Amino acid sequence: MKLKIILYGGILVIITCSACKKYLDAKSNKSLVIATKISDYQALLDNNTIMNRVSPSNGEGSADNYYLNYSDWDALYNDAYKNIYVWGDEITYDLFPNDWGQAYDQVYFCNNVLEGLDVIQKDSSNANEWDNAEGSAFFFRANAFLKLVLTWANAYDSATAGKEPGIPLRLNTDFNEVSVRATIQDCYNQVLNDAEQAVNLLPVNALFATRPSKAAAYGLIARTCLAMRNYTRAGLYADSCLQLNHTLIDYNTLNTAASYPIAIFNAEMIFYAGAFGAELSNSIANIDTVLLASYSDSDLRKTIFFKDRGNGTFGFKGSYNGNNSLFTGIAVDEMYLIRAECYARENNAASALNDLNTLLQNRWKKGTYIPYETNDAQQALNRVLEERRKELPFRDLRWMDLKRLNKEPGRQVTITRLLNGAVYTLPPNDPRYALPIPATVIELTGMQQNPR
Amino acid sequence: MHLKFIQPCLAVLILTFFVSTLQAQTGNTITGYILSAKDKSPIPGATIQPGGRNAMVITDDKGRFALTVPDTLSGITIKHEGYVTQSIRINNNDSPLYILMEENVNVLGDVTVSTGYEIIPKERVTGSFTQVNNKQLNEQAGSNIINRLKGVASSVLFDNSESRPSLTIRGISTYEGPSAPLIVVDNFPYDGDINNINPNDVESITLLKDAAAASIWGTRAGNGVIVITTKKGSLNQPFSIQLNAGVTLINKPGLSYLPQMSSSDFIDVESYLFNQGFYNENTYNHAALSPVVELLIKKRDGLITPADADAQINALKQVDVRNDFDKYIYRAGFNQQYAVNISGGGNTAGYYLSAGYDKNVNELDAGYSRIHIQSQTVLKPMRNLQVNASLGYTNSMNEAGRPGYGEITTITGNALYPYAQLADAKGNPLPLIKDYRETFVDTAGEGHFLDWHYYPLQDYTHVNATTGTADILANIAIEYKIVKGLTASLQYAYERQQVTGKTLYDAESYYARDLVNQFTQIDYGSGAVYYPVPKGSILDLSDNLLLSNNVRAQLNYGYRNNKNELHILAGWETRQSHTTGNSYRTYGYDDDVLSFTNVDLVNPYTSYITGFGSYIPSGNSFSDNLNRFVSVYGNGAYTFNDRYVLTGSIRKDASNLFGVNSNDKGIPLWSAGAGWTVSKEPFYHSSLVPSLKLRFSYGYSGNADLSRSAVTTLSYISNARYTNLTYANITQFANPDLGWEITKIINTGVDVGFKNGIAGGSIDYYIKQGSNLFGPAPLDQTTGLQRATITKNVADMLAHGVDVDMYIKPLDRRFKWNIHLLFSYNLGKVTNYFLEDSNGADYVGNFGIAPVKGKPVFSLMSFKWAGLSHDTGDPQGYVDGKVSTDYDAIFNGGTKLTDLDYNGPSVPPYFGALHNGFSWKNFELDINITYRFGYYFRKSSTNYSALFYGWYGNKDYADRWQKPGDEAHTNVPSFLYPDNYNRDNFYINSSALVEKADNIRLEYINLNYTINKASLKQLPLQNLRLYCYINNAGILWRANKDGLDPDYPSSLKPGANFTFGLTATF
Repeated sequence: MKLKIILYGGILVIITCSACKKYLDAKSNKSLVIATKISDYQALLDNNTIMNRVSPSNGEGSADNYYLNYSDWDALYNDAYKNIYVWGDEITYDLFPNDWGQAYDQVYFCNNVLEGLDVIQKDSSNANEWDNAEGSAFFFRANAFLKLVLTWANAYDSATAGKEPGIPLRLNTDFNEVSVRATIQDCYNQVLNDAEQAVNLLPVNALFATRPSKAAAYGLIARTCLAMRNYTRAGLYADSCLQLNHTLIDYNTLNTAASYPIAIFNAEMIFYAGAFGAELSNSIANIDTVLLASYSDSDLRKTIFFKDRGNGTFGFKGSYNGNNSLFTGIAVDEMYLIRAECYARENNAASALNDLNTLLQNRWKKGTYIPYETNDAQQALNRVLEERRKELPFRDLRWMDLKRLNKEPGRQVTITRLLNGAVYTLPPNDPRYALPIPATVIELTGMQQNPR
Repeated sequence: MHLKFIQPCLAVLILTFFVSTLQAQTGNTITGYILSAKDKSPIPGATIQPGGRNAMVITDDKGRFALTVPDTLSGITIKHEGYVTQSIRINNNDSPLYILMEENVNVLGDVTVSTGYEIIPKERVTGSFTQVNNKQLNEQAGSNIINRLKGVASSVLFDNSESRPSLTIRGISTYEGPSAPLIVVDNFPYDGDINNINPNDVESITLLKDAAAASIWGTRAGNGVIVITTKKGSLNQPFSIQLNAGVTLINKPGLSYLPQMSSSDFIDVESYLFNQGFYNENTYNHAALSPVVELLIKKRDGLITPADADAQINALKQVDVRNDFDKYIYRAGFNQQYAVNISGGGNTAGYYLSAGYDKNVNELDAGYSRIHIQSQTVLKPMRNLQVNASLGYTNSMNEAGRPGYGEITTITGNALYPYAQLADAKGNPLPLIKDYRETFVDTAGEGHFLDWHYYPLQDYTHVNATTGTADILANIAIEYKIVKGLTASLQYAYERQQVTGKTLYDAESYYARDLVNQFTQIDYGSGAVYYPVPKGSILDLSDNLLLSNNVRAQLNYGYRNNKNELHILAGWETRQSHTTGNSYRTYGYDDDVLSFTNVDLVNPYTSYITGFGSYIPSGNSFSDNLNRFVSVYGNGAYTFNDRYVLTGSIRKDASNLFGVNSNDKGIPLWSAGAGWTVSKEPFYHSSLVPSLKLRFSYGYSGNADLSRSAVTTLSYISNARYTNLTYANITQFANPDLGWEITKIINTGVDVGFKNGIAGGSIDYYIKQGSNLFGPAPLDQTTGLQRATITKNVADMLAHGVDVDMYIKPLDRRFKWNIHLLFSYNLGKVTNYFLEDSNGADYVGNFGIAPVKGKPVFSLMSFKWAGLSHDTGDPQGYVDGKVSTDYDAIFNGGTKLTDLDYNGPSVPPYFGALHNGFSWKNFELDINITYRFGYYFRKSSTNYSALFYGWYGNKDYADRWQKPGDEAHTNVPSFLYPDNYNRDNFYINSSALVEKADNIRLEYINLNYTINKASLKQLPLQNLRLYCYINNAGILWRANKDGLDPDYPSSLKPGANFTFGLTATF
């Protein structure tokens, strides 16, 4: 009898304890919405303030599409912006929020979604929603990681990528884990891995350009491979993307007098992302004179992209976002240029020029454009790269191009800044091409800072 | 009587009846009384142990006991600290026994302590407990049992300040976490309102102060534990009735204590400001201007003659609003408390039934009434089985009273001007300027509006705000003796507390009229008037329900032979506390016919006041909170040779509040202790100190924040830009490592008893180290949490303390004199805190905790004071070590943390009480004096910005610097217009206003007269006690010279109160 009581009591305790985990998983305050449904996760991904509207611009700020007058530079209210412009030795990058943190905000959202969907059973009734949310999270994470590694690590070089520090790859939501920099190779692998998962999961077309689609994921992989100088693959993915969307805007239909001639969510936009930077504000950032001079007067981009301030300086007004924020997402024109470049690099000058001419016919005044023709793939490549520079300013792509082309003898560029008599130069492959990581991050994690 | 009340009442009666019929004449039970050999007074708490057995019983407060024994039993041993242990032979026919005990010289105070998990005899104690017995608890009146700990328990500190915890045991041990001690009622944490406990039903209170005492309570014991034990039914005791009745008269507070600026000075300032064009007569919200300013405007605009205006203003200079408050608002408070209990018991069942009624009316006419009934039953249906069941029901009602001084403010938060008049010369209520300008109120809406005046003396009669509480607390404990020494017990506790709020603003109330008017829509063209908020009453109802369930299964094992004694307990428990709430509002409510009007909550209406579109307030809300704990625990004590004791305790908690990593990996909280009764050693032969025991303990307890959740939570936002989708943001970030705060305590103590029991007591020294404390931790942005800091378990603190609890009996003959001395020292310092900033200005205000490393948690930090300037009367501070009046620099970075004066702690590190008890024949007199030393407070003073904009004046305006030379005798800065906000706040937060807060207070005086049957044969009852208490009697000495009560430096002090009553036992 007594033995039985103990036995039953023991069994009871064991059963209760095993039920404990579920018992303790109950939420302690009901008004706190705890994500449990796919729609909750979709709502996080639809937070376009976090996921789309703010993406890094520090690379663009360091690049050579613009210059600042000393007085405007001096008036920048934080030394961080000033340092971005001059690739500063001193790291006073203590702004909050900043590009680094905001990109990782996206990563944290994605990790929440990925962890949450892990425990939601996917079945025939919810497969579409589930796939879309999961694919979007993979896409957004890949996109954020790519932006980060392009800005805060050295250019990809297959010879050294396995050794050089990339960026921290945060793959779960536990913020107690100390951030550690992965190798550049691991970073690109992660981006490609995430983006490929996204390709498999995302729908061909998204409801809004704020949401990722299959085309966007192809485009992201194309861009990634281009940064890795894996031109074969970059060309294939750009092609896949263009298979789904190859509409180009005829710039002749745009109003050149408008303050922002290109409307947001236009036909070319595949995936929407925006960026801001105090040093890049179109009221102070002056278009590089060499760049400006490279446009023909028949080229509509000269008037659609640039605003003549009337004092000999020009500002940028050609954002695909239709406002003063920079468009840093994925668009059809970029895909044409990637495919063209890759054709050219594979000695297929005809296909390269076909793409290039298709694009430019939509950029020049009607009837003025004479298709460029050559059989020399190298010349075609030169022309494609030249047009790439002219087509994609202020898209946060120039920094990546500078970095990857510096790896090619003959395409190296030294950037110079002039401020009040002081001359700053950034030679090719300088370590400063990897921007300084925010000082507080270094302090708190002990991770390796990029040398200046 | 409420219908709600009758139902549970019946339930209790039925239960009791049922229990009584269960009594059956089985088993061999002996009963008896343990009395003092000296005066035949009962000895409660004595242990009776059958020869050679482990079971024991303890006498109740009347010295009674009942013991079920086998036929073979030949003797029992009776023990009580302070008395000579006796072993006597018995035979079963002797029952009831009357056993007289001789007083022992080895006096150590109370004999057992309750931890909520077990009752342990003091010999086995290695930790730090304070036992407050029934007599001490009854030396103060009042409906709240916790308040009766004031001045009777060492290390307990009450604090009136709103920015600090109101009650601490051994000081604070957290920064951002909850700071209240855990309250345990009859073995389970108590979630309800402490006022649901009737003090008359409380037998004793035990404070668990160190780790050895408290760690059994695990993650919620870090702030100490207050264990309340209620009176219980017990077996084999005669039928007894006890009655208690008392009334308390509370003095009106003295309003002259308030440092109110004189009306004359106030009006002079207003006139000056008016001449400077300070007042904005055309604000968008028609903000109120004071009556004097309105008169000045009328005078300027020629609406009244200058002579009239001056005459009226001069008349107002003579008015002091405190007189009206004293005359029309404040009154003497009156509390009544009645309680009755019945107890008795047979061989197999015992019971304790009680009922109590409290009715309090405070000095603002706010009412509180409480009915409490309680049933406690003990059943022993089988030899090995004991069941304790209790059921308590409380129904209380709070009713709001009149608005007190300082509670009438304008909509913008301005104070009442000192020349306000609440009534005219005949006592008729007068309207006050409240939210809007008089001219606006008088003329607005061309007669379409309801009267827009506020009448303070009438308005409270139109607002009926009540809060009702109905609480059921049920406990059942089953104890089964499996084999010799091994007992299994199962306990269940249930609490259901429903708090119902009802506020009815009737149609005449200012609140309802104001809201109706604000929303009134007038079409001046057609003259059509529409009232979106309908005329009539507004009814706010709220309902909050607490359901708490506790289950505990526990095994106790005891073993004893000649030299060794072992006690082990182990258990598992789970608890859930679920709080749900809702509130809603009804417009156009008619209390007579229960009709109401639906209003349009969806569309904005143009506010008549601001001209902006605004929505009618809905008042709807819902809440739902759930706390769950699952715990396992164990506790053991080993005694060797009656003098060496080793104890240990361990507990592991898991909860839905903690992060998963904490639940899974967290180490258990534990403690260990050792005790050595030196005086029992053969080598020890001190006749001066015949009793001496040393104690040492070490261990951990925790502190959990019930408001923090360990899950990621979202909030939804409508209409995303571009897509119009509903989207979500993350509002709370799951921290899988979030755990409880840990308090490590090392305690060492000595218990002594001097020759003949003339003196004795205990001294404890402890080190308390808080770690894992909640604090803002800087966050690596790579984590992606959109923020720079997050609350984590990061901060540390360290406290040292001493508790002394001594008694002396200088006289112990017919005239007795007992002295009970309590002394506590506690000073906790910040040892680690992230994000310490160096800007001194961030530390001087009263913004809660701004910890400074190496300083007490609650420190008074002030700007250095360099006096008033000779030429201008400007307050002077320091910038870069030089005397300065650059107030902007002083506030914005010019004062580093290291440049501040550290005045001292703002809570007393030294405090305690001196209790003198005298008794002679049937009279007993208790005088309790409390003291607090070593701390500082900040006086209030003139702040010109607050005076100009907020109408907050101070009487020391009269002492302000007016001419060179004044700086020699005043610190009050010169009048300055326009005001300088930083100048004012520099002065207010400077060392010039810091005073020593040390004080000695006469806490209470009690006079008792007791007669019992022994002394008066013809008395128709067993015992009768008449008592008279004076509480809150006043300050005897204070360090400050301004006559300020440091506990109430600028607010009303509660008046003294007087209680008269009787306790009769039949």
